[in-house]
Amino acid sequence: MAYYPEPVARLIDALQRLPGIGPKTAQRLTFFLLKRPADEVRELSESLVAVKDKIVYCRTCFNVTDEDPCRLCADPARDARLLCVVEEPNDLLAMERTGEYRGRYHVLLGALSPLDGVGPDDLKVRELLARIEAGAVEEVILATNPNVEGEATALYLAKLLRPLVLRVTRIARGLPVGGDLEYADQVTLSKALEGRREIS
Amino acid sequence: MQIGWIHVVDFRNYRTLEYSPTPRLNLLIGPNAQGKTNLLEALGMLIAGRSFRTSRLAEMPRWGVERSTISGELVRGDGSAGRRVVRRTLTKREDDRWQNAGESVEWARVIAFGWQDLEIINGAPGARRNFIDGFAGRLYPTHLAALVRYRQILARRNRLLQQHAHGDDAAARLQPWNEQLAAVGMELMDRRRKAVAALQTELARIYRALSTTRSKVEVRYWTALGEATEPAALLAALNRTQRAELRRGQTLVGPHRDDLAIEIDGVDARAFASRGQQRLVALVLRLAEVLPVAEAAGTAPVLLLDDALSELDPGVRELVLRELGAAEQVFLTSPETLAVKGAAVFQVNAGGIAPV
Ligand SMILES: Nc1ncnc2c1ncn2[C@@H]1O[C@H](COP(=O)(O)OP(=O)(O)OP(=O)(O)O)[C@@H](O)[C@H]1O
Ligand SMILES: [Mg+2]
Ligand SMILES: [Zn+2]
Repeated sequence: MAYYPEPVARLIDALQRLPGIGPKTAQRLTFFLLKRPADEVRELSESLVAVKDKIVYCRTCFNVTDEDPCRLCADPARDARLLCVVEEPNDLLAMERTGEYRGRYHVLLGALSPLDGVGPDDLKVRELLARIEAGAVEEVILATNPNVEGEATALYLAKLLRPLVLRVTRIARGLPVGGDLEYADQVTLSKALEGRREIS
Repeated sequence: MQIGWIHVVDFRNYRTLEYSPTPRLNLLIGPNAQGKTNLLEALGMLIAGRSFRTSRLAEMPRWGVERSTISGELVRGDGSAGRRVVRRTLTKREDDRWQNAGESVEWARVIAFGWQDLEIINGAPGARRNFIDGFAGRLYPTHLAALVRYRQILARRNRLLQQHAHGDDAAARLQPWNEQLAAVGMELMDRRRKAVAALQTELARIYRALSTTRSKVEVRYWTALGEATEPAALLAALNRTQRAELRRGQTLVGPHRDDLAIEIDGVDARAFASRGQQRLVALVLRLAEVLPVAEAAGTAPVLLLDDALSELDPGVRELVLRELGAAEQVFLTSPETLAVKGAAVFQVNAGGIAPV
């Protein structure tokens, strides 16, 4: 049996750990990269290191950012009375792409997930409560995903937040069942935002 | 509706098969292990995109292949001139799992009967829940998605019950799962009850037509929640049983614990009916689905009846065949030759089919 040279095997192994990439795809990517010009591959490896080195989580909203506080938190034009809670940074981006939302954000960095052992303490819930207690927020919009984890997270937060803010709303369903915010198109998402309802 | 033609490649024991059935009764005759049930399964896959006998995709592709295809024409046949050519594929993915692809046709419905349906009568409650959920899914297309969601909620709630057996914040952590379970659970129970009600009239009529006795069959939905229809009732029941649930690490109330009571002349069919009676009641339950499903879909479903006449006495067989004469497209398998007026007969042999 023939073996790959060590660096090749190492890259295949590393790529295979990425989500959605199996052994065959990892091999294909590896041999694709081997054929590319050296500076192109160097550019890729440098950008991999750069995300890890230069990107941090904003200590206010927990979005990914290269400056802390992030541009959204620092922008005085954003309405501090509205706070939109999402699971992940890419959900925030999806919401921004609608161009309809002018409030602020809070990223939980996950959702309640008993199967993965993720409870409230593993999410940025305490930080969310601290922001609310600081006072300015009048409406919290729960924009977690419509799957069962996202729904549980919204229900859990609604119960915590209702005594603390004027309005707690949930973006309207009708998103694809089990779907992620990230994949919902802009029209669906702005409709969902527009049709948000007070959660009881 | 009807299947106009079907083309099967590398499915079960079929390498390739092209078959154009008649729009009415098709008899599929052949010795054991030739591919009769496999053909019914392919016909069901074509219409519904799911197998009526397995949930494991890997069992269906012919052994050793990486891809199986089933294509064919579905004819709406209610004068609307609706026709759709459908193509479904089962493909092995890189991670060795099988993927099932193909579009769904809103009006296409199939009802299958097989030997495993005897479990509806004499098996565990799960078999009866599957039966009523399958039927409710044919009536209300959102039912199966809700069922999937319910199972997801249940699995997560059970995991929490196991993890937090001793925690004092258990109630707060369970609350969002209780609320979801109650909402989706009641939605399921509501549609199951409607499905049972829709079944009842036809069940009585068909059983009277088919049995040579004067007996009466009845089905009732059984739930620990009684007549309650509000999610609040299920929520309250969850709160009541929470301590026992934490101890057992399991959700003890909800539609996953419900059952159907099936009775012949007021006595439990499971405990007291003869084997032939049980076979007949199981078949009649499937036949009773036909009319409600036709009304919900706007066109009659295709019937796949696997060895449906076995264990029935000759008198009852005659009556069943007469009842099938009134149905739309039917596929009936049998290991023995049957003489039925007006039926098209096909011989199934070692993964091939030929008109007789
Ligand atoms: N995935 C598969 N690939 C190849 N062959 C298969 C596969 N699955 C089942 N078979 C074969 O198909 C045969 C069974 O076919 P089937 O169940 O359709 O028989 P049948 O004609 O209905 O017989 P019976 O009268 O006993 O019910 C078995 O002999 C089995 O070996
Ligand atoms: Mg068979
Ligand atoms: Zn920020």
